[in-house]
Amino acid sequence: MPMGHTATAQAGSGGLTATEHRLANGLRVVLSEDHLTPVAAVCLWYDVGSRHEVKGRTGLAHLFEHLMFQGSAQVKGNGHFELVQGAGGSLNGTTSFERTNYFETMPAHELELALWLEADRMGSLLAALDDESMENQRDVVKNERRQRYDNVPYGTAFEKLTALAYPEGHPYHHTPIGSMADLDAATLEDARAFFRTYYAPNNAVLSVVGDIDPEQTLAWVEKYFGSIPGHDGKPAPRDGSLPETIGEQLREVVEEEVPARALMAAYRLPHDGTRACDAADLALTVLGGGESSRLYNRLVRRDRTAVAAGFGLLRLAGAPSLGWLDVKTSGDVEVPVIETAIDEELARFAEEGPTAEEMERAQAQLEREWLDRLGTVAGRADELCRYAVLFGDPQLALTAVQRVLEITPEEVQEVAKARLRPDNRAVLVYEPTAPEAPADQDENEEAAR
Amino acid sequence: MTELATMDFHPRPQAGDAKPWAFPAPERGSLDNGLTVLRCHRPGQQVVAVEVLLDAPLEAEPAGLDGVATIMARAFSEGTDKHSAEDFAAELERAGATLDAHADHPGVRLSLEVPASRLAKGLGLVADALRAPAFADSEVERLVANRLDEIPHELANPSRRGAKELSKELFPADSRMSRPRQGTEETVAAIDSAGVRAFYEKHVRPATATAVVVGDLTGIDLDALLGDTLGAWTGSPAEPRPVPPVTADDTGRVVIVDRPGAVQTQLLIGRIGPDRHDRVWPAQVLGTYCLGGTLTSRLDRVLREEKGYTYGVRAFGQVLRSAPDGTGAAMLAISGSVDTPNTGPALEDLWTVLRTLAAEGLTDAERDVAVQNLVGVAPLKYETAAAVASTLADQVEQHLPDDYQATLYRQLATTGTVEATAAAVSAFPVDRLVTVLVGDAAQIKAPVEALGIGEVTVVAAE
Repeated sequence: MPMGHTATAQAGSGGLTATEHRLANGLRVVLSEDHLTPVAAVCLWYDVGSRHEVKGRTGLAHLFEHLMFQGSAQVKGNGHFELVQGAGGSLNGTTSFERTNYFETMPAHELELALWLEADRMGSLLAALDDESMENQRDVVKNERRQRYDNVPYGTAFEKLTALAYPEGHPYHHTPIGSMADLDAATLEDARAFFRTYYAPNNAVLSVVGDIDPEQTLAWVEKYFGSIPGHDGKPAPRDGSLPETIGEQLREVVEEEVPARALMAAYRLPHDGTRACDAADLALTVLGGGESSRLYNRLVRRDRTAVAAGFGLLRLAGAPSLGWLDVKTSGDVEVPVIETAIDEELARFAEEGPTAEEMERAQAQLEREWLDRLGTVAGRADELCRYAVLFGDPQLALTAVQRVLEITPEEVQEVAKARLRPDNRAVLVYEPTAPEAPADQDENEEAAR
Repeated sequence: MTELATMDFHPRPQAGDAKPWAFPAPERGSLDNGLTVLRCHRPGQQVVAVEVLLDAPLEAEPAGLDGVATIMARAFSEGTDKHSAEDFAAELERAGATLDAHADHPGVRLSLEVPASRLAKGLGLVADALRAPAFADSEVERLVANRLDEIPHELANPSRRGAKELSKELFPADSRMSRPRQGTEETVAAIDSAGVRAFYEKHVRPATATAVVVGDLTGIDLDALLGDTLGAWTGSPAEPRPVPPVTADDTGRVVIVDRPGAVQTQLLIGRIGPDRHDRVWPAQVLGTYCLGGTLTSRLDRVLREEKGYTYGVRAFGQVLRSAPDGTGAAMLAISGSVDTPNTGPALEDLWTVLRTLAAEGLTDAERDVAVQNLVGVAPLKYETAAAVASTLADQVEQHLPDDYQATLYRQLATTGTVEATAAAVSAFPVDRLVTVLVGDAAQIKAPVEALGIGEVTVVAAE
């Protein structure tokens, strides 16, 4: 087994180090030692997400992630959860556009168990996967969709914005949760085929971070994962490239039973992993990243037209990233009032660029967010996998904060000027409707108690 | 497509030798102005967490001014004698800091997180906010308007709406606990800067406050830092504050908050029980975990993993307010959401789970797994400074000794199956639970009535 980098801290890494290794079957392994607390995080990223799904099967990657917790050759039923929790660990999995991740944080002396469990399902999930778990988890996921999206005000806003910002047929046009119709249509054979196609050691990165003995850890990884065959059955993902800007202002008005008017918008931004993306992150932070941001000061403090106003960044590597504006109006304020103010602020920012103080504040905020993410073994394990899977180099995780701090005000202004424009956004407007007439209402009953 | 992958299988590995870990013991002291300080050095935690607890409980809010503690908490970050509101926010962010403040039944809590290299700056801002808040008319007006705008959003959220209804049902109308923590449209509208200042002057002083500081304090002269910042805050001595007892009506009944067309029913099933001063607490923690702590607990094993009615249902105990003499109370509840057509069957199963628990008790295996999880996850759970600071602050707020959490872990490890069963059964007796359902009454009322779990009432969502 070839050994990778030596563990020498790079400049700007805060003293953190990581080593890289590759098994003969193609599984990439990243190890990072940290003996401050007797815990170890295991994180496994599979290079498959909702962007790999095909028409008519949206939501399959995420439904499949649920099935990964339903047992494998040596793990019965919910055994994965039971064994990890019974060992004093915590665990979960998540699915996004670009990847599916599985993670366990364990007391350090239970690390080997987590590796055994992950290997068992990577190599033998299909030995246990059956109709019963498929039907059950289909219902669970549909309830997850109802709880998180369909039954809350504005719950489907992100899904609508994504569908506007990435055109029909684009791999990022739909979100990982998928549609109810497609969740209903997925078959057990779809799930089996999905596993055979994407769940291979050479389509994954495993990171182990914390109070570990690297040599012993690597030996366990080889023992449990080493015999799982790799394969080249994975088709190339559909092309996610798009023009840098949308080229027109797209707009959808939603009339729904929501508590207040809202203005949301999605801007196409540079790909993750570029300096321009870091510059966009800083631009969005200055404009809408907190209670001293330009939009907050303008809309919430001065004009008092909004109850909340902010920008978020969804970093994407395989398609343009998404800058997400979210403003909820105050009282009876109409959307055009907000829209005019936002356009003024964005135009002014593109014209002036950030002040030195704004740069300092935005960089300090992003630096703290990075310290938070790298401050736990689980956060560090996830970031190492992210940079390994998406950019081919886990070491980049340890210097990410340094790169944000090196961005200049000119770069921030440049990206704002090029991207934060009305002709590069998809706008979603919410106009509240009156509630449906309550059925079976008995006011007297309440008053009588 | 390839055939089933073949791999070499190995037996499940055994655990190595556990390394010792204990919940950190803080060092307790006080400043000349009477402020109590707990500090805890956590190597490697570069983001320092500071919690400041103020003895300004919700029940101290003047009649008709529910929400004044919340507005005061928010107004702390809206300007001081040195900074305007905008400048204050800018200075905090320049330090890479976040400052949250919120008011709850036990008091007001400020939570600062700041990189260790900028702790001095962050502490200075918090100290200014406490020592000399501006409470400018225009800023308080804005906070009041903002809070009024938030209320419809909360009422439209099924989970928040359910919590509001359960409080109203459980507690007597004259108890502060029966009413929304952050006030109603009527009471919030009556709040102005004079009201905020009066509440501040009456209830905020260093002598009744505690600061908890946790993080990597290497190279930081914390005494000097505290002396220059929170040490400059002055105020009158402490006055004893009587704590009213908490009572609740847990007669078994059902209230449906009608949301026509809702695709799911939000459930919140609750009552009150003892707080952490009671000897039953460790057993109750254990029993509640076995009932609904995770997706392999009894409730989700049926409702989620067998029936697919829900994304997840949890049982929990959450302290509402404590007193030094142990007369406090905790909310004991089960919450989650189930799809509308299966609301009746889901509740039926839920009650069956409770009845089976009472009839047959927990198994030793369940108890063992629960203990291993609750105790075993401690080093993971308390990896960050913020998590440690928050638990230390809870202990102070609940009048518990500084080694409470450490002791709790030892008690959990020695609590048996019989005690855990008894505690869970008495925490969730089937005929003493108030059930709030936020959902489509036209579809769920009849099936719920048929269950016989109590009288069913329907109220409007707004």
